[in-house]
Amino acid sequence: MAAAPRRLRTPLEVTLAVWRALFLREAVARVSKERLAWLWLLLEPIGHIAILVVIRVVIRQRVIAGADAVLFYVLGVLAFFMPRNMILRSFDAVAQSSQLYAHRQIKPVDAVLVRAAIEGLVSALLFAIMLGGLALLGTDVAPDDPMRVLAALGALWLAGLGLGLINSVIGELLPDVGRMLRVLLTPLYILSGVMYPTVIVPHPLRDWLLYNPLLHAVEALRAAWMRGYRVPAEISLSYTMAFAIVAVFLGLALQVRFRTRLIAQ
Amino acid sequence: MIVVENLHKRYSTPHGPRWVLRDLSITFPRDRNVALLGRNGAGKSTLMRLMAGTDTADRGRVERRCRVSWPIGHARGVQRTMTGRQNARFICRLYGFEAEVKERLEFINGFAELGDAFDQAVETYSAGMRARLSFALTFAFDFDMYLIDEGMAVGDAAFRRKASRAFKERAGRSAMVLVSHSASLVRDLCQAAVVLDDGKARWFDSVDEALRVLGMDE
Repeated sequence: MAAAPRRLRTPLEVTLAVWRALFLREAVARVSKERLAWLWLLLEPIGHIAILVVIRVVIRQRVIAGADAVLFYVLGVLAFFMPRNMILRSFDAVAQSSQLYAHRQIKPVDAVLVRAAIEGLVSALLFAIMLGGLALLGTDVAPDDPMRVLAALGALWLAGLGLGLINSVIGELLPDVGRMLRVLLTPLYILSGVMYPTVIVPHPLRDWLLYNPLLHAVEALRAAWMRGYRVPAEISLSYTMAFAIVAVFLGLALQVRFRTRLIAQ
Repeated sequence: MIVVENLHKRYSTPHGPRWVLRDLSITFPRDRNVALLGRNGAGKSTLMRLMAGTDTADRGRVERRCRVSWPIGHARGVQRTMTGRQNARFICRLYGFEAEVKERLEFINGFAELGDAFDQAVETYSAGMRARLSFALTFAFDFDMYLIDEGMAVGDAAFRRKASRAFKERAGRSAMVLVSHSASLVRDLCQAAVVLDDGKARWFDSVDEALRVLGMDE
């Protein structure tokens, strides 16, 4: 195998090769780890939506804050699940690839970034499948302001990425704190406006809720998608965006600060 | 070649920091196989990791002036939940051999002699099978220098001969740094030795002399 001497790859080429290799590996693992893992991927959000919709249908309310009830839940659950899954899968992202850090090209941060990309892609697929299904059932699913919809989804992804980067360091270096944070994801689900519109929340409580950056993005997404949907005036996508950018930089800083310890463990 | 300059490395322990490498400077050339010797805890594996670039030094630097492999041995660099074939593909992509995956996979499977096990998860492999896979993976790519940490000890005699032969065939094109506690293996493969002691490195042009200094020559 006397190959001609190869040109050394540039750092960018090496990084892209790492991401590509990790991405394909993680993508295969995501859908093949357990039996029917791919089906579960779809059933989990459908289950949540089905329960919420059934409860609503029983009390016969077809319109929520001026918007279609089913679409309201679909958007809420899918929007929230993207950052939630990114956070959930970041806790063990570093440890799962620990055997691979023997290759100096792979850093722990690569594993986290690749997982975030995969969860983003999974979310995009879920949106396509669910909204396609709704369209077949006769609901009008076309977004009214597509650009703002994309901005809201981008903000949610970025927030998930930032929180994921931070959590990946915590989950690896402080596993106990990691377990506690994992438990906090359930209250976050309740506090992010997935099951109710913010406008029905009474005032002293609403002011507290509005500190949650995910709530802003979820509500902004719905408002952009359905023109008749009512949101409080305080809902601001820039708030989520600013939070996400700070979180991403904090997460990257933690990854740099603890890079040796993340590999060593 | 790999140039190591003023390398310092310490680990923190409950009793305060312990210096493993203190102001170590040495050059590993490309024209000779070098044995890296030393007593247990002398810092052989630490130095290997630093040379491979998977650990960071507290002071000093390591310069790799050629293509250096990852540290081979104990199935490192291999994902246990993936099959041998998936690992092979992964490493092909990682090192930029995506275009020739097919030939490389054939070579790897042929060299490792894993048969059907090539399509089973690495965690089901025996220690010897893992070592065979590790070696096959590194031989599939032309590195200028191979870093081998104890990996040769596992595997049966026939495979050890095969791996030794593969290294001898590469003599002149590539070199290796070998950590091993087997005097016969070191004599067979290496032309020079480096002995680690008290955080410093000493170069020996003769392997026999290095083994004598360490009392490994009986």
